[in-house]
Formats: sequence, structure tokens, C-alpha cells
Amino acid sequence: MNQKSQSFIQEMFNEFYRQEYTPKALSTIEKREFGFISPEGFMIRHKSFKNVDELKSYLENLTPTDAYYSCAYYENPEAEMDKKGWIGADLIFDVDADHIPTNCDKVHDEWKCGNCGFSGKGVTPEKCPICNGEKFSATSWPCEACLESAKVETIKLLDMLMNDFGFSDKEIHTFFSGHRGYHVQIERENVRTLDAVARKEIVDYVTCLGLEILSNSYKNKKIGTRVYRNLKLDDFGWNRRIKEGTIKFILESNEEELTKINLKKNVAKEIIQNKETVIKNLKIGTLRSVRGVGVETWRKLMEHVAIMQSAKIDTVVTTDIHRLIRMPETLHGKTGFRKVEFPPSKIDSFDPFKEAISFKRKTATVFVSSAPRFRLDEEVFGPYKNQRVTLPAAAAILLICKGKAEVAE
Amino acid sequence: MQKSTLKFTKNDLAKYPFLKEAAEYVKSLDLKVEDLTSTDYARILERAEERIEEAILYTIVSRKLQNEEIEILSFPTAIMIAAATKNAFIKRRYALAEAKQTYNDLKLEPKEKILAITQNFQWNIAPNIGESEAAYEFKLHFTDYLKNTANLREKKWKLVNRLMTNGNVYLTRNETARLLSEEVKRHIEKRLDIKELPRLPEKIMEKAEKLNGLTLEKIGKAEIEGIPKTIIKEAFPPCIKALYDSAASGRHLSHIGRFTLTSFLVNIGMPTENIIEQFKGFSDFNERLTRYQVEHIAGERGSRTRYKPPNCQTLKTHGVCISQNDLCKTIRHPLEHYRKSIRR
Repeated sequence: MNQKSQSFIQEMFNEFYRQEYTPKALSTIEKREFGFISPEGFMIRHKSFKNVDELKSYLENLTPTDAYYSCAYYENPEAEMDKKGWIGADLIFDVDADHIPTNCDKVHDEWKCGNCGFSGKGVTPEKCPICNGEKFSATSWPCEACLESAKVETIKLLDMLMNDFGFSDKEIHTFFSGHRGYHVQIERENVRTLDAVARKEIVDYVTCLGLEILSNSYKNKKIGTRVYRNLKLDDFGWNRRIKEGTIKFILESNEEELTKINLKKNVAKEIIQNKETVIKNLKIGTLRSVRGVGVETWRKLMEHVAIMQSAKIDTVVTTDIHRLIRMPETLHGKTGFRKVEFPPSKIDSFDPFKEAISFKRKTATVFVSSAPRFRLDEEVFGPYKNQRVTLPAAAAILLICKGKAEVAE
Repeated sequence: MQKSTLKFTKNDLAKYPFLKEAAEYVKSLDLKVEDLTSTDYARILERAEERIEEAILYTIVSRKLQNEEIEILSFPTAIMIAAATKNAFIKRRYALAEAKQTYNDLKLEPKEKILAITQNFQWNIAPNIGESEAAYEFKLHFTDYLKNTANLREKKWKLVNRLMTNGNVYLTRNETARLLSEEVKRHIEKRLDIKELPRLPEKIMEKAEKLNGLTLEKIGKAEIEGIPKTIIKEAFPPCIKALYDSAASGRHLSHIGRFTLTSFLVNIGMPTENIIEQFKGFSDFNERLTRYQVEHIAGERGSRTRYKPPNCQTLKTHGVCISQNDLCKTIRHPLEHYRKSIRR
């Protein structure tokens, strides 16, 4: 980003904080730590504010590129880390497209070898195909497919948080992060004091790490002998997820798909040929329905299903009880989008490329080096290659923040 | 959560002397610390000492319910003596031993009494009435569940392997007793965690000294084993080896990966300078920042605590554990791998 673009961004962000920004009431604001990235790129930490008005005027004065606050509550939020006096922390989850496989295969992301300068698109390789170098610089792009994949993971997470963990619609705050994913935050009193070990168990639960499939039902019941009992699958928790998931998976699969998850050809054939019987029996909890389909087959199938049903979250975010996370309603420095909240029940229809857009009234002329086709609200832009275009401010800011355009001379 | 109206008997208080009701009973007798040393109370002091002795020798504290009064009063006295030893091992062991006996007793109690005891610890628990399999007698809120399973290693205790709905984890009576005994252990540990001891009578201090001596004599053999000065890379577990090699070739490491590697190297005695050297290959290497972080982890800065690498479970959660060798299957912590591997 050149000097001119930088001042443009700063000007626009400043205007946003003065005119558009309406701070959301932050619970227990005075006990949280705040952190900012200054326009010059420095991290400013250990700040605290008594109320949102104080916070707002700070934002107006500094115009940070990014603003964060702690999920933790402290006695002294401004003290050094070990003197802060940790009281508790919200339970948070981060679903980021960077951590999940997506339909777009990340073709819009670019990487460049730090050694020989060779560049390519897609997921950054382990080694440079030209010089075997292992250092890369990379740029990413928030595409619709990426965000859709993140949304799917978030929906699975929300299902667990509501049905299994019992949080209500009102207790769960869901946000678009402003870049490539979603945040989920729970402020309920009784989760605040959970330590990192307890939070790790919650992470393992939603990612199904350590899930023992079929062991409890079968270990004591002489597998391999004729004593083939019913599979006890209660209709909730992971049991429900595996039962329903397995039924759905078999229903939608053909032989080829079953062999892909390492089932033997003849076993796959038996299952597909007897689909109806298999599913009918699964519904009442019986595994023994087809010859040649034994416990190991079921275990393989269900392990596959479990992984599909798990929510792929960024594990370190949840277990970090001091984490700084982006503040709601503030701008993301990599996109100019806002981090916005929406009700969990509305996630299906939530459109990040509409709800998170600011700077609605203005336009700007930029020189775009290269940009993929993208959409903001109803309008579609690009693709662009080395051209001068006049765009709505939000689109111009996105391209500049992403390093794909500069303010036109 | 339903409130129990069950009243504890004196026999209950003798069995579960950590209950609030037991403390209230003791308070009602209006005793002073000094009274304990008089001959009238000699039996209490004796029994208190015996409680700790049993803990050290057998890791369980018997129950002597013939004399309920002594049994109840000897518990807070034992707490005082254990605290006076200022010996972390004794304190831990005593809490564990009381908790073990509690578990044995709780298993045999009727539902109502278990519920009444959980109320002492404000558990969010209720009986299971036909929502799930009959074997599950209780449902406990997952936050209380997690607080009391942190030290339980069996796979069946992992939350992901439990039946949970609407925030409640289903438990058998036996399992509930087990978790309740964990709560009791934590409760006693907390009571023993006294920063500044008040001045205690000579007799109490004498008992504490005696128990310290007993511990040395019986437990001394299990000294902490030292780690050799030279670094033996062949003894690294697979996760550390992978991190170490990645760092050497300048490949990107996650935050937790860097922390794990650094804290591991710190703990096996690699000097700070050498550790900083390991990170020089990174494209984003910044000597000042790296030095600050390494010194922080080594406890040379800030809180002055030397950080330990995360345990195997945690490394699995965050994808740092990449593969397991045979030794890995027998350990719970990467440093344990290093120690055991060296001794082989």
C-alpha cells in the first residue's frame, strides 16, 4: 500500500468512526483489556475504558486499522499480564476459512517464494516447486465459497452449543469476523470461570477428538461371537449426530463413495444393495443387518461420519483464556468490512457481503493490478487486471486493503 | 436443581467431616486452638495425626465411626497439622486420601444423600427421571462436570464420550460419587493452601515435624530424577522432533508449536542463547522479540515462572502431536518421553 492509499484508508476509517460507528454496549467493559493496531502498524495493548463513550472518542482519535478487546475480565486490565488479576473469560469460538477445506480450493489466494520469487495460486505449498525453498509470503481473499464453508462449520457448532451444551438463542452471540470467518461468543456467568483444561474438553467435544465409536456398546458384549446386541444410540448428543449422519451418508452414497473411505468393494456393494434394510435397522439401533458387514466396517463408516459432523474450529482461540478478539462493529484492517452480529437463528440467510459493508455513500477511483470477480451487496465487480476503475468506496477499500489496488493518481 | 431437605446425622458428619454442617457443628462447640493441646483433647490430636499418617502410608484415611465426636473434630485438626508441615506432598496426599475414602462411602449412599452432599458444593445436578437410560441416575451440568474431570484420564471421562443434552451430562451413581470425591479433594487442597500460617501451639508443630520425618523416610526414594546437562536429540518425542526440524529449516510454525518447542528446550536445559539460535531461520525472525519471548518462557522475565510444554492431550487438540511411537503410548507429557528415553 503506497502513501496515498494509506492516507485514503485512514481518512475513510476515521470518517467511519466519527460518523457511522455506533458502539455496541459491551458487557463488563471496565474489566476488559483493549488492544489496537495503530495506523502506523504498532500494537497498542493493555488499554481500558470506563464506558463506550470513552472508547468511541479513543477510536475517533486513533483511527486504528484493527480494534480488539479481551474475552477475559480482569481486576486491573491495564496492568502487565501477570498482574492483571484474571477473573474469568467468555467462551469463544473462531471458525476461519483458513482452517477448513473449501470448494474454491483457495484459487484466489496467492503465494510467493521468499527465496526465488516463484509464485502461484491456491493453498501455499510446503516447498517451492522451483527451488525447494520453504519460506513464502501469501495473500488471501475472502470469497463466497470460503465464507460459505465457514458458515457450514458454524452451523454445526451452533447445533452443538444449543442442543448439547444447552445454551439458549439469547446467550449465543454470533458474528461475521469481517474477513474470512465467524466468531461465536458466550458470556454466561457459569462458563466464565472454566479454565483452559475445561475449555480444551469443549474443543475436543465439538471437533470430536478422542470420540470412542462403538466401544461402549460393544466392548462388554463379546464382539465376534453370535451375541450381537442392539446398538444403543440415544437420540441426543454425538449419538444422535452419528446415527443421523450415518443414515444420511448411506442414503446419499453409492458404492464408489463407500470404497473411498476404505471399505472393501464387496462390503460396499452389500451395503448399497441392501440400503433400505440397513437404514431401517439403523433407525431402530441394530447394526446387524447385512452379511459380511461387521463391527469394523461400521466403525470406519461412523468415524468418517463423525469427522463430517464435527465443527472445524480454530482450537487455540477457545482454549486461550486471555485472548484478544476483534471488537463488534469495528472495521477489519484487511477488508474494511465490519465485524457484525446477527441472531444465530438467522445464520442461514445471513449475507456477510451485504451486512458488513460500510462507506455506502462514497465512490473512489483506483488502479487495480489484479482482482477476481466479487460481489458486494447486489452489485458484482471485476475481474480486473491493470485497469483504472471508479468503484463504490467499500469496494475500493477492500481492494486497497487486500493489496490489489492503489488510489489512482 | 431441586433442594434436598435431608438432614445430616452425626454419623454422616463423621463420615463426611468436610461438610459445611460439620464445620458448623465444630463451631458450635466453641473450641480454641489452645484447647487441643490439653489432655482432655489428646485423643482428637492423636486421631488427627493418625489421619495424616494413614494418608502417607496407605493413601486412604479410614473411618472410625464408633466415636463420632472425635472423628468430626479430628478432621479440622488434621487440616491444621497438614498445613503446618508446609510439605506440598503431604498436603496433596492427605487431600487425595480423604477423597478416596469419601468415594468408597458415597458409592453406597442413597440418591438423596448424594444429592444433599452435592448441595454443599453448589452443584447444578438433578436426578434423571426417564430422559435417558435408567442406569444413569443423575444429570449434572457440564461446567460442574468439567471442573471435576480435569484429572481423570480414562477415555470414558472425556466430555465427547458422554451423553449430554441441554447442558447436562448423564451419570451413574458410581460416576457421580467419583466426581464428588474429586470435588472433595479440591476442596481440601484449597483449605490446605494457606499462604500465611497463624502461630500454632508447640504440640501441633511437633506433630507436623514428625509427619515430615515419616514422609522423608517412606517416600524419599521417589526423588525427582534429574535431567542430564547435554541435549540428546534422539530422545525427543516425534512432535518435538518435527517442530525442531521445521524450525531448523525455517518452515512456518504455529504459535503453539513455537511455544511447545521453546518450553521443551528450556525444560531440558538448553541455554536461552542456543534456543534463540534455533529460530533464526524464520522469515519473520526478530531477535529482540524472540529473545523476549524465550526469556519469558524460561522464567527469566515477567512472572518468573518457567513454563512447561503442554501435555500430550493438549498437543493432540491443537494438532501438534503428529505421530506416536511406542513410548508415546505409555506417557502423558513430552518431557516424560525425554526422561524415559534417556534412561533406556
